[in-house]
Amino acid sequence: MSDVEIVTRVLFEDFTPSAVGLFYALGFAAIALFFFGVYVQVRKYRRGAAASLGGNLSARFGAMIGTVLSHRTVARRDRPAGAAHRLIFYGFLLLFLGTATITLDYDILGPLFGVHFWHGGFYLWFSLILDVAGVLLAGGLAYMMYRRGWLRPPKLDYARPDRRPGDPDYDRSGYRREDWAFLWTLLVIVATGYVLEAARLVWLEGRPEVWSYRWWSPAGAVLAEAMRAAGLTQAAGGALRQGLWWFHGFVALLFIALIPLTKVKHIFTSAGSLMLRDPLAAQRLPGVPEDQQRVGAQFITDFTWKQLLSLDACTKCGRCHEACPARAVGAPLSPRDVILSLREFANKTLEAAELPAEAELDVHGKGPGQVAMETLWACRTCMACVEVCPVAIEHVPIIVQMRRKLVEDGQMDPLLKKTLQTIHKTGNSFGESRRKRAAWTKSLPFPVKDARKEPVEVLWFVGDYASFDPRNQKVTQAFAQLLHEAGVDYGILYDAESNAGNDVRRVGEEGLYEVLAGANIQSLSAASFKTIVTTDPHSFNTIRNEYPEFGGNYEIQHYTTLVQRLLLEGRLKIARQLGVRVTFHDPCHLGRFNKGYEAPREILRLLGCELIEMGRCRSNSFCCGAGGGRIWIPDPVGLDKPAHNRMREAAAIPGLQVYVVSCPKDLTMFEDALKTTGNEGKFVVKELIELIGEALRREPAVPAPGVAA
Amino acid sequence: MKLLVAVKQVAALDEDFEIRSDGKDVDPDFLIRDLNEWDDYSLEEAVRIKEAAAGGAAAVEIVVVCVGPEDADESLRKCLAKGADRALRVWDETIEGSDSIAVARIIAAVARKERPDMLFAGVQSSDHSFASTGIAAAAFLDWPHAAVVTHLTYTPGANTAVLRRELEGGVLHEMQLECPAVLTIQLGINTPRYASLRSIKQAAARPIEALSLEQLGVKPSDVGESGSLSRVRRMYVPDRGHAQMIEGSVEEQAARLAKIIKDLTGSAA
Repeated sequence: MSDVEIVTRVLFEDFTPSAVGLFYALGFAAIALFFFGVYVQVRKYRRGAAASLGGNLSARFGAMIGTVLSHRTVARRDRPAGAAHRLIFYGFLLLFLGTATITLDYDILGPLFGVHFWHGGFYLWFSLILDVAGVLLAGGLAYMMYRRGWLRPPKLDYARPDRRPGDPDYDRSGYRREDWAFLWTLLVIVATGYVLEAARLVWLEGRPEVWSYRWWSPAGAVLAEAMRAAGLTQAAGGALRQGLWWFHGFVALLFIALIPLTKVKHIFTSAGSLMLRDPLAAQRLPGVPEDQQRVGAQFITDFTWKQLLSLDACTKCGRCHEACPARAVGAPLSPRDVILSLREFANKTLEAAELPAEAELDVHGKGPGQVAMETLWACRTCMACVEVCPVAIEHVPIIVQMRRKLVEDGQMDPLLKKTLQTIHKTGNSFGESRRKRAAWTKSLPFPVKDARKEPVEVLWFVGDYASFDPRNQKVTQAFAQLLHEAGVDYGILYDAESNAGNDVRRVGEEGLYEVLAGANIQSLSAASFKTIVTTDPHSFNTIRNEYPEFGGNYEIQHYTTLVQRLLLEGRLKIARQLGVRVTFHDPCHLGRFNKGYEAPREILRLLGCELIEMGRCRSNSFCCGAGGGRIWIPDPVGLDKPAHNRMREAAAIPGLQVYVVSCPKDLTMFEDALKTTGNEGKFVVKELIELIGEALRREPAVPAPGVAA
Repeated sequence: MKLLVAVKQVAALDEDFEIRSDGKDVDPDFLIRDLNEWDDYSLEEAVRIKEAAAGGAAAVEIVVVCVGPEDADESLRKCLAKGADRALRVWDETIEGSDSIAVARIIAAVARKERPDMLFAGVQSSDHSFASTGIAAAAFLDWPHAAVVTHLTYTPGANTAVLRRELEGGVLHEMQLECPAVLTIQLGINTPRYASLRSIKQAAARPIEALSLEQLGVKPSDVGESGSLSRVRRMYVPDRGHAQMIEGSVEEQAARLAKIIKDLTGSAA
């Protein structure tokens, strides 16, 4: 055996057999506690409703590993935190693997097979890598401490918009203490590890197989040199090693034992949540099976085990809190606090040995851990929270499932109640006669084909707002003009079209959604067409993602995709470049929901517009406030509105001329907000369709402010 | 302990409606049917009484009754979804053409059969607005009655009920009635609950009892046109008024307006 081959680390040198025994006893106790904690957690999840895992588990496992290793989702919209977490993750992972390696060599392969590999060259590299890993971990922890202690980003202050000071569950200082305890515990483990290593080096400086290889543990070696310079003797090093060894070991074992009961469990729960992610969680809401007793989520046990697991995945990173449009305008909702409330509620009720009586499981209300109806109704189902969550928590289905219970009990705004009844009666939210649905076609100089009576290539699903709202009717007519000019063979369903139901479903009126989807699918099935087009992203989403579950499988595109193609194929010819400075508002249901980011931008480019992006664009687009049925619920008087918030963002763009939207509800919301925020006259709100129409004519119609002057 | 609630399926006009060929009603193709708005409130009042008494000595049964053809089942289902225990529907070809008094005769017969502690009806129906069915039923039953009730204090099984009615000039009328009694309920007495589509669907599985005139002991000659003392002569849309748009510049419009006023008032000033 060469010199190098005998190099390794002493483990229990100078320990009495009873000391070694004590350490193993502590180790097994920690592992037992860990598994008991895991058992309690698993029992908690199993008390939830059944959930299907969905297929393709190996691919999803692979995707989860990819997400975890790349830290792609952790780094989004907070790169420094992502980088620091990456240091902690890799540092921790390497140190864990290192410790596991020692166990493998010393406790498993050695005693069982007499095989030892933890020495020599392998050991030296091992030593170097772990020393570096410790530095990475300490660096990440230090940044996180700096962030929490000095940077103090608002998303980490845990202030609750849904509770008032003095409410029993308003106080979040417990979370803050846990956060700091977590960081300090890890830092203490790392720091004592290094001091321990240095003390061991000083203690064993007489052994060449230790001392001459000390620089393979650079951090420990530097520290050892420093200790020696400070006068630490060999004997004192030995004593220090002995004391610290126990302290370091005890803290590390305590950490392991507490994993399932503290935020540390996110190591497992977040990975689980990421693996079980439903990529269409908000786009395709869960249906209600005929035989399901309760319509929505009333009790904590009505959530699936998968949802309960995801509650525990939350790391309180605050990205959803930051992105939420309701929270931004002071509404009593933060997606984070919905998740944390439910988690606290689940911990209180479902971690107990016996499942409490049903009355204690009701998650609706204003008590600790319960979610108030004001909170649930504040949600716009815009998906900003789901989209940005680094650990794949699906807030929107949770909120909608809870709303279903509220709808069943009639606990909703009177106007919303009225609108739902109107939609049931007339098939549209405007309370107009079905016969008037296609009234906008009457003033067109050409007929619009009736797809109920003749086959068409493109079936245009018009949607409620585009059909009945007077301002949007102009856009609808302009789009008909575009299709006509491009020679597209298209038709509409006239009276046979009903409200598509996207927002009805997001309100939580699942029964009415079933009626609407059923009626539309019946009408669509009776018509003959190749593809569906719509100018309404809401209709687009539900027909594309939700109708298939009701037997309606259609090819559907948002108009931006169709028009882009018509322009590129030359079927629509641009007569003049518009040369205006614009910004584009991504509609939630086109952008975040269906990733339709490029087509509208490409069209704007073809029209010769100068596109200046707002800070919040594409996946981070800021909801107009109309989603999730909120267009039928009056906003509280005196409070800011999401559309106002957005208008101020747009107004900050120097020389902005046109705020371009491509959604009927956006047009309504933002034209209103333009006036109420005092920006009228500075720039205008236009549908992209209107800009396209302008670019097709040689003569400018009404110039945008600042253009012709 | 039983509460009987009389409801009606009313008709609302659709856009661009047409009058039936006999000129006495709107062509049914242009009518949208729904539960009468007032009945939503009277049913809600009954359901609240039932809910307040839940767990008490006497269980409350709510029975809704509708005089109407089969398509009225849709409205009855809504009532079942909102909390009615049983739904009755009375129909017979001979009932066609009944006026509100003849309908009240049938409802009174149902009340004799069901023997409720209270009979609720809406103040009026939104389509025909006679506001007489409930009160006429009280007359046929010879029961005490109160119309346009805006507040009710009643414990199931009690011998009396105390109610308030709003009179002209903001005056309130508080009355005590002996039960059984007939009350016609005014809008706003409560906030009717929402019947989710799921609950309506579930109600579809529950039976609606069909009652014939024979079962009620009502003679065919007492209903329909023969049993009614009033007749519809015709239904029509009056000629349009003389509204016109005044066009032109502000000065022209003002001059034109002044001339119209002078012509109408005959003043020379």
